[in-house]
Amino acid sequence: MTRKKLWVGGLTLILALVLSGVAYGALGDRLLSRGSNGPEVTELQKRLVQLGYPISPLNGKYGSKTQAAVRKFQQDHGLKVDGLAGPETISELKRLTRESTTATGKPVGPKNVDVNLLARTVSAEARGEPYEGQVAVAAVILNRMKDPAYPKTVADIVYQPKAFSSVDDGQINKAPTASAVKAAHEAVNGSDPTHGALFFFNPAKTSNKYIWSRPQILQIGNHIFTR
Amino acid sequence: MNRRFWYGVLALALVLSLGWGWNEYRQSAKFQQAAENRNQHAFRDLASQLDQLETVLAKGQVASTAKQKVLYLSQAGSHSEAAMKDIAQIPAEEAGLSYVGQFVNQVGDFSRNAAQKVAVGTNLTSEEEKTLADVHGQVQTMNRQVQELLVRVDTENLAWTDKPKTILQRLSLGKPQIAEASAEGQDVQPTSVRAGLDQLNASLQKLPPFSYTGEFASRSVAEPLGLPKQEVNKDQSLEAANDFLSKVGLSGVNLEFAGVSSGPMGGYLWKQGDISLTVSKQGGKVIEFWNQRTLQERTLTADQGKSKALSTLKNLGWTLVPTSVEDYGGYIRLEVIQEQDKVRCYPDKIRLTVALDDGSITAYDSTPYWAYHHPRNLTPKITVDEAKKKLRSGFQIKETGLAVIPVLGNREVLAYEFRGMYQNEEYLVYVNAENGLEEKIQRIIHTPRGEYLQ
Repeated sequence: MTRKKLWVGGLTLILALVLSGVAYGALGDRLLSRGSNGPEVTELQKRLVQLGYPISPLNGKYGSKTQAAVRKFQQDHGLKVDGLAGPETISELKRLTRESTTATGKPVGPKNVDVNLLARTVSAEARGEPYEGQVAVAAVILNRMKDPAYPKTVADIVYQPKAFSSVDDGQINKAPTASAVKAAHEAVNGSDPTHGALFFFNPAKTSNKYIWSRPQILQIGNHIFTR
Repeated sequence: MNRRFWYGVLALALVLSLGWGWNEYRQSAKFQQAAENRNQHAFRDLASQLDQLETVLAKGQVASTAKQKVLYLSQAGSHSEAAMKDIAQIPAEEAGLSYVGQFVNQVGDFSRNAAQKVAVGTNLTSEEEKTLADVHGQVQTMNRQVQELLVRVDTENLAWTDKPKTILQRLSLGKPQIAEASAEGQDVQPTSVRAGLDQLNASLQKLPPFSYTGEFASRSVAEPLGLPKQEVNKDQSLEAANDFLSKVGLSGVNLEFAGVSSGPMGGYLWKQGDISLTVSKQGGKVIEFWNQRTLQERTLTADQGKSKALSTLKNLGWTLVPTSVEDYGGYIRLEVIQEQDKVRCYPDKIRLTVALDDGSITAYDSTPYWAYHHPRNLTPKITVDEAKKKLRSGFQIKETGLAVIPVLGNREVLAYEFRGMYQNEEYLVYVNAENGLEEKIQRIIHTPRGEYLQ
């Protein structure tokens, strides 16, 4: 191969890449389905993860994982479950991941910092528990904020040394599940199935005397909630 | 030749593993250093914050003008908050309920409340002045002990937590011993920073508690004000549960008993598949209901869902008015409250989620209603025009009404509610209808789901 040919080949390749980038539009311009790829798919994946439909890696490829996440999203949001990211699915996804605004429309960020961390904690501590039990775990954290013995922010409580095992083993850094996100919203809105619990533990896994000595309120799923 | 080759491979493997080990060792040393620095940061900041807290509490006592007093007392509030953050970061062997933290929190709570009181123009009573002096004295004691601990950290290289002593414990097969002696309040030299703080717990607990009213004065679950007094038995609770289910459109559910919950709002738990209910022992009311069924395709708008839910509520015997609706996609979250003589009673609230496939209720939580509902005297002492004068100039009122709102310290007050705009932002401003004080300000934010009060 001559040097000239190499140059031409290289330039064509670069041009092709640039053009293919231009060809992709914004999320919502076209129907995305199994086999689609490009930056709009990455955008779709990001928004799904934000709402509690984990996909990893964010590779911009509409594969089986993305399709499953889209189906789950559609199921949870009363949309037609077809696994296709059409206009309705995308506009609902965009609506729920939009920034919050003031009365006159000035954007002020999503305003869900605490809900997000709560959801991660719930997801890591109570995955597989009944939904009510997930709300209860989020409520325990919020109850601690009202208790004199605890710090006054969600982050200070969650990251208190040895307070939650999921912080020690890093589970907390995983993207939360959709039901955990929902449960966190529920608790922030004031739901507390435990009526004031400060602790929860799994009786099968805990021998800690202190926690067993606390007055018990009720058991939900595998967790006993105590004052 | 062959043997040489294998020696070579072994030597190479040795060199590689040495290099790998060295790299790992350096990495972990770096992480350890970072953690150590964070701990030092937290502990030294704690000592500094407590020192400043002690100083401003002293100044707050001597200050004679209201403005100065408010300044120092609010500073005390911020220093105790910062100290609390530091305490929450110092390593512990176990999740600590620390009395030090509780004490610092209450000092901050007390100071903020006192500051607020002075700020709206009331003087501290002589009793409150005395509490302030007591609090200052106790902070002084604590401050001295923490500084002593800091000296020991500097001179003796005190560890952060007590290291596990036996081999078994080191292999984390046993639990580390907590300094039992210090927990009992004996005077032994603590062997770690955490043990020192635990010892502080014990000595603080010997001091007389100070009393005040504030947000965190005590965390007692309120006696339910709204629940009828008589207790019901298990059979009666099942009847109530079934009655509720038939009225929300779920008849023929064969509920199974799922245990009891204790506490003031304790009750009988009933379950069947996706459905669960709690019926209070006192009064036999359905406190909570959850239906975790899978949602079908959405057929209703948020408004249609709302009106369907309101008619279901009417079936259940409620006449309540909606306050907020949030649209989560397949379902809405709805809050309804009691309205008495056109006064909105925000504490008497029921929270619902409503599925938008058929408009049925999927979650129902009447805890706030039963906890707070009681007969109220709702006659304002000042007129709405007098209340309007308390608003800042430039605040454009859009709606006016009377409301009962919850305020700090588990109290509620009757207030004029003004919804309006100020500099392109929307607010709810509450003016106490008895004394004209500005009780509460809430900012309205529009989230993707609906209005949100901040």
